[in-house]
Amino acid sequence: MLLAGGVGSRLNILGAARAKPAVPFGGIYRIIDFTLSNAMNSGFNTIGVLTQYKPLSLMEHIGTGDAWDFTGRMRGAKILPPRTGQKDSDWYRGTADAVRQNIDFIESHKSDRILILSGDHIYKMDYAAMVRFHGEHEADVTIAVMTVPWQETEQFGIAITDDHRRIIGWEEKPKKARANLASMGIYVFNTDYLLHLLRTIPQHDFGQHMIPAALQKARVFGYPFEGYWRDVGTVRAYWEANMDLLDPQSGIDLAGWHLRSNIEEEGRVSDRPPSFLAPGGNVRNSIVSPGCVIRGTVESSILSPGVIVESGAVIKDSVVMHGTHVGREARVTECILDKLVRVGDGAVLGIGDRGMANHEKPEHLSSGLTLVGKEAEIAAAVRVGKNCILCPGLVLSDYPSSFVESGATIRRQAQ
Amino acid sequence: MKKVFALILAGGRVDELSVLTLSRPKSALPFGGMYRVIDFPLSNLMHSNIERVGILSQYRSYALLNHIGVGAWWDFVGRRRGVKMLLPSIGHKLGEWYKGTADAVYQNLEFVAEQKPETVMVLSGDHIYKMDYGPLMQYHRDKDADLTIVLGKIKPEESHRFGVAELQCGPDEPGAELLDYKEKPVTGDFEWASLTIYVFKADVLAEVLTRNAELATSYEFGRDIIPAMLGSYNVHGYKFDGYWGYSRTVDEFWRTNMDLLGPEPKIDLDAWQIRTNLDHDKLRDRPPARIAQTAQIENSYIYNGCEILGKVENSILFPGVKVAAGAHVSDSILFFDCVVEEQAKLDHTIADFDVSVGTGCVVGEGEEAIPNKDYPTLLRSGLNLLGKGVCLPPDTTLERNCIVAPALKKNDFDKKYYESGTTVL
Repeated sequence: MLLAGGVGSRLNILGAARAKPAVPFGGIYRIIDFTLSNAMNSGFNTIGVLTQYKPLSLMEHIGTGDAWDFTGRMRGAKILPPRTGQKDSDWYRGTADAVRQNIDFIESHKSDRILILSGDHIYKMDYAAMVRFHGEHEADVTIAVMTVPWQETEQFGIAITDDHRRIIGWEEKPKKARANLASMGIYVFNTDYLLHLLRTIPQHDFGQHMIPAALQKARVFGYPFEGYWRDVGTVRAYWEANMDLLDPQSGIDLAGWHLRSNIEEEGRVSDRPPSFLAPGGNVRNSIVSPGCVIRGTVESSILSPGVIVESGAVIKDSVVMHGTHVGREARVTECILDKLVRVGDGAVLGIGDRGMANHEKPEHLSSGLTLVGKEAEIAAAVRVGKNCILCPGLVLSDYPSSFVESGATIRRQAQ
Repeated sequence: MKKVFALILAGGRVDELSVLTLSRPKSALPFGGMYRVIDFPLSNLMHSNIERVGILSQYRSYALLNHIGVGAWWDFVGRRRGVKMLLPSIGHKLGEWYKGTADAVYQNLEFVAEQKPETVMVLSGDHIYKMDYGPLMQYHRDKDADLTIVLGKIKPEESHRFGVAELQCGPDEPGAELLDYKEKPVTGDFEWASLTIYVFKADVLAEVLTRNAELATSYEFGRDIIPAMLGSYNVHGYKFDGYWGYSRTVDEFWRTNMDLLGPEPKIDLDAWQIRTNLDHDKLRDRPPARIAQTAQIENSYIYNGCEILGKVENSILFPGVKVAAGAHVSDSILFFDCVVEEQAKLDHTIADFDVSVGTGCVVGEGEEAIPNKDYPTLLRSGLNLLGKGVCLPPDTTLERNCIVAPALKKNDFDKKYYESGTTVL
């Protein structure tokens, strides 16, 4: 059961029109591809994907599940959105509640064990090994855990384990933690025990309610994970994880991880031809997806399919998504450009004062990155500072002037 | 186009393509960084809404069968759509190897008749072009033609290389009645050449093929069928003036690939919306291309799975090609999963799948004057050909016009230096 309802509000406009697991990543992927590919590579054949927030991109992306080999008589990927049941509205009220509302799905697919996953993280993991660990320890519940820096413990559920990896204590997002072993939000339950918990514990969250309750009576173990794992829940973390793709030493390895994506969505992105690195173009230290035409300079950046970089343009330290067009002599530095953005000739993005956090959302944007929303238009020769947010769908008349100072947010004007 | 049935002639193996067609028909030849040549007529048919297609093949059909699959990548799956591979079969009164293009179609006339088409289109599977067949069909119907042949303009002095035609046609007219047709005439100045796209009335096609089968000893559309129809049937020529790329010889294949490059490429794959089978060769399972800090790439094609650390110019790199630091690839075409090790140099080279070029190798050096000694007509422009799976040991040098047979491994090379025109077997 893959929990893919995440809102991703800290990703700001990147998560405005899509659930966090559906946010594009690494050129041709979406964040959820890591979890789906792990499930495929671990030999799982049936998966239920629980969606809630803005599920359209996600539903299209998962499709029949064919991209991850989830099609066949004994295989399947099912999207499980909230539905009305005994009550008129049964929105999922938490992670455990989402699973609880799909008990019928669980019961109709006979299983001894259930793996609960989230679709929010960049990592490679063999879930089959975790299930083996679960069996070997005769556990009722196994939680994947990893060691995190002490200063980050307050973002996680923290497990306190004994010498046999049995979890004997639990702190959900503690202000002052007693251990630094963090839950990754990945659980293996004995199916019977999961159903028992869901039926007897009335509350709605695994981390806050189910796990502490289970600790009292059941055998709960921590499965240790080591390796690359990132929660790309913030703009900065999202950008950094993309940049990790450029560093062979970072531990992220798309080819070695056998990562798969659905490339047939969105009007067959897949039909794009190879990329053309044209005469006069220059690309270094970058990831380039199919269908790009590069006549300018690209350095230390991640390009999704169909990005056009005109001559004289320079893109540096940026993430540029599908179909975005960067005009002649434009400069784009430390930016995240969503899909189908149009950067006019000679426009300059990402200049000026890094110290000036975004005025409206300093908690989202203070590291210097500028965000440009889907289908936003940027006029020729406009200058845009750092930590700016240019909202999706902007048209030229939305800009008050041809200079957008660092920390500013530009929205669509009311019609 | 419910009443049109298309037959693609995809079977041919041409010796002119040397090691490139040892294991595949020429229509399955990789092209343009991720495609196969047959993707072009298939995509044209799809965009022209011609939805029922037969593919005639007999030489090493596996590569083609695997590529076409059920035809879903070209949207040929559905109750009224379909693509069928028509292979030679035995145990049947007509069962034998195809003796020529016309015979291939003749042996499948029963199948064609079952489709109940009004019009049958016969086209070859080995050209690179974009064409909307809709106006052609319209022209064919408007003229009530028995046969319409698509023609392209040529230089008259090249007449001996083509099936050539005489046409009297104003510049604004799409076509005209065909006045004369000759297959590769020794002499003569003709302005128009057949592009081997034929549109037949279905019953006429059956009639002329059956007659030819009874009488003739030769079974080609160009040499036999068309000349025999002139005078007694309503035969038209239809002009095409778009880009037309050949891939019949090594030189043509290389030049047509190079037409993808330059400041204003002649071939615009994105605009042409060419489709291919992304399951084949694991095209869709590869991560995007990674270009290192040390890389220098100019005027080149790359696709998913490429890893470039060295210098690449004027080249087409297929998925999974790796170019190590210090290596230099120029004016070359490298098929899937080729590896060029550090400090190796490749110039004017076509490498088939899985070729590995060892550290410090030089492929393509020196004078271009000496044609290949074994195949002088085939390889004389300076290109080198490396067969599928070749593994060149470090510090090997090949000058020009060399051919290396497929699957040669390090121990198979007993020299470090191979002069121009050598064939390594």
